Amino acid sequence: MTEPVIVAKGLTKSYGDVTAVDDLSLEISAGEIYALLGLNGAGKTTTIRMLLGMVRPTSGSVTVLGAAVRPGAHAMWSRVGYLVETPAAYPELTVVENLMVAARLRGLRGHRQVDDVITRLRLTRYARNRAGTLSLGNAQRLGLAKALLHQPDLLILDEPANGLDPAGVAEIRSLLVELSLQGVTVVLSSHILTEVARLATRVGVIDQGRLVREIASNHLAEHVRQRLSVSVRDHAAASKALSAAGFHAIRTDGDQILLTDFRAVAEPEHVVTVLVAAGCPPYRLVVEEDDLETFFLRVVGA
Amino acid sequence: MIDALMTEFLKARRSRVPWVTVLAFTVVSLVGGLFMFILQDQGRARSLGLIGTKAALVGGEADWPTYLSFLAQTTAVGGMIVFGLVEIWVFGREFSQRTAKDLLALPTSRVAIVTAKFAVVALWCLVLSVQLLVLGLVIGTALGLPGWSTGTVLTGLLQIGAVAVMTVLLTTPVAFAASAGRGYLPGVGVLIAAVFCAQIIAALGYGQYFPWSVPALFSGLAGPGQPSPGALGFALVALVGAAGAAGTALWWRSADHDR
Repeated sequence: MTEPVIVAKGLTKSYGDVTAVDDLSLEISAGEIYALLGLNGAGKTTTIRMLLGMVRPTSGSVTVLGAAVRPGAHAMWSRVGYLVETPAAYPELTVVENLMVAARLRGLRGHRQVDDVITRLRLTRYARNRAGTLSLGNAQRLGLAKALLHQPDLLILDEPANGLDPAGVAEIRSLLVELSLQGVTVVLSSHILTEVARLATRVGVIDQGRLVREIASNHLAEHVRQRLSVSVRDHAAASKALSAAGFHAIRTDGDQILLTDFRAVAEPEHVVTVLVAAGCPPYRLVVEEDDLETFFLRVVGA
Repeated sequence: MIDALMTEFLKARRSRVPWVTVLAFTVVSLVGGLFMFILQDQGRARSLGLIGTKAALVGGEADWPTYLSFLAQTTAVGGMIVFGLVEIWVFGREFSQRTAKDLLALPTSRVAIVTAKFAVVALWCLVLSVQLLVLGLVIGTALGLPGWSTGTVLTGLLQIGAVAVMTVLLTTPVAFAASAGRGYLPGVGVLIAAVFCAQIIAALGYGQYFPWSVPALFSGLAGPGQPSPGALGFALVALVGAAGAAGTALWWRSADHDR
């Protein structure tokens, strides 16, 4: 079994009486796309900064790529790319020069990596532009380019889709999936819940500094509540017939009735049979499920 | 370390700030020359409208020792401000432009990056001091100032060099303030406080015990009646320089970078 790429044990960060991160433990394996999901102020960025050694935990420990994260330890960062919060660049330097600065500080020589990442992030048109003139979306691309420049084994990205248009979001999603398939481990935080659902292989829900739930994406469906939505013309008759047949019917506004019984979701044809027999056939029948947002708010109790 | 140095040079070279400091030191040289021109013949200066009809400048002869002393004194006070602003810009910009976070998790150590920044500041200030010396020699020669001797000029130049070195050392706490305060303003605040206190404490006669007063005392700015800084004064300057640099490096290495 391969060694985990990130191991965080009992991470806690307190600022006076305020606990930003509370006893958080994580273990992330190679090739995973792990998403930290949380409301604003939940502790995502503080967690990411502790993983990157920017903030010292009040207690607990972090190991990245087998090396303990502590002040003065810097060898492991040659294999890590990161983007924390809003992207930043030296405004008077061009895109190429900003990348050359990042490349130099990572010990890279020559222009090859810089040219490659500019092409990969579609920054070629802006390569000679000063970074201060870039749009928010292109500044985000430059931030991602700096993170990807040295072909890292681990990418830690805080809100990577910030400022990108829908096409850019899809492009970055494809890029991250491609990197993951190549064995790159990706840790990201995002408030774009649909993105997390599409991208992550595992989701960690963080609330008030605590990791309240971890779910593998392929098990996400098990945690998502389903219900049968039935639309009928005669609401009262339909409800009466369904109750008589043993279904738990919840009336909503308009013509809609929601059935949350497992039996109704699993065998909607029985519901149809009951309603037809009662003389109020449905004109619409849909199995609905929680979206990730509903799921998230339910998990954190917001 | 070389990589960190190269990147700091690139960042400085592509900015307008070095040119602003070059301009400031050019103005200092020219102002010194203007004073010498006026002192050479105040009647001529009055007829040219450089000074008012009733005004008269006192405080020296128009000769090489006076001119070089003026440049040394200007380096002590003006240098503190200009070198301090260089220090504030080199360190504070990383926080004001939010680029500091990109320097924190790299194979190049944070201490190497801080050392490279101090090296660039030192070289930058050295270039400004050399510019002051060269311009001073050109302007003094153009004015035909009397009192030239190799010994006099060498002493004057060494005094300017020593004042410049001391002034650069005294700006390292400003780098710490710009780093720990995460921006330009805390550095500017510390710089203003240091310059203000240096004037007051020197005027009270205790300048030799306050490091930021030492370059001015050494350059003779405080007047002939003031005590010499002495070994203690010079040692305090070196101590402040080392403490400021070490404190800045330690802060970058160990502080919580949560903004």
